[in-house]
Amino acid sequence: MAKTILAVDDSGSLRQMVVFSLRAAGYQVTEAVDGQDGLDKAQTQAFDLVLTDQNMPRMDGLALIRALRGLPAYQKTPILMLTTESSDEMKAKGRAAGANGWLVKPFDPQRLTEVVRKVIG
Amino acid sequence: MTANKTSTLHIKELLSGVSEHGSRHLNEVETDLVQTNILLQEAIDKLSASFMAIHEAVSAQQQTVQALAAQCKAPAELVSALQSQAEQVGLHVNAAVTGLQFQDMTNQLISRTMRRIGGLREVLSDVGADSGGIPAEMDHAALAARLERIRDAMHAKSSALESELWKAVCQTHMESGDIELF
Repeated sequence: MAKTILAVDDSGSLRQMVVFSLRAAGYQVTEAVDGQDGLDKAQTQAFDLVLTDQNMPRMDGLALIRALRGLPAYQKTPILMLTTESSDEMKAKGRAAGANGWLVKPFDPQRLTEVVRKVIG
Repeated sequence: MTANKTSTLHIKELLSGVSEHGSRHLNEVETDLVQTNILLQEAIDKLSASFMAIHEAVSAQQQTVQALAAQCKAPAELVSALQSQAEQVGLHVNAAVTGLQFQDMTNQLISRTMRRIGGLREVLSDVGADSGGIPAEMDHAALAARLERIRDAMHAKSSALESELWKAVCQTHMESGDIELF
């Protein structure tokens, strides 16, 4: 059975590229348009990995990670940030919030797939 | 008209002129940015749709050619050439996916610029409103104090705007970014 990934990003074009890349690698991907939508979807379905942007309306990536880590089902689920933010300060905040990795946009599909495979197989 | 009244009027006119002209130009900049964003959005929609369609067609074509090559027992060098071409297509697909992410970044930068324009327009509007409240008859000390208040208010708003506008996009090229696992 295919591993499931929740891709959270407010940019439709970016989500489209994430979905394209990960589906081609055999993953089942669900899209969410912002942190709140991501949190809602995560509460109705269990995902093997969450890939989230940082800067989004309604709820940003760090807030989403904190909210997910507060849910028993997501305490150990790998969460990767995929964002334009590249400062050490933001990475430290991500790590403290409970992120397992930080990917700076733009992403290369092969490298993204390799990282996802390394994290969830 | 006294010299004092004349200079006060000149200062009022100067400040209201800065406010009015500045706002007018900011409106033009804003309109251009909105138009740019619309064009970029349409461009990415069309590019993405074409990319997906081309990818689907090329994948189907590759499968057909491979099936034909297997059926016809194609020579090893032809099979190897087909394999090499498929790998080349794969590399270009990866590069295209990386490049097609431009709109996410340009959109963030444009949004940030739009917020800055909105903030700057507020600053200029306040300067215009404050200068309108300056009475024609005002002694030098009172005028200096009023101008100082306008300057301080402008400075405070400008600083607040700067702190609100965190720069989230520092990329200057479309090469793939760093990856760090914690």
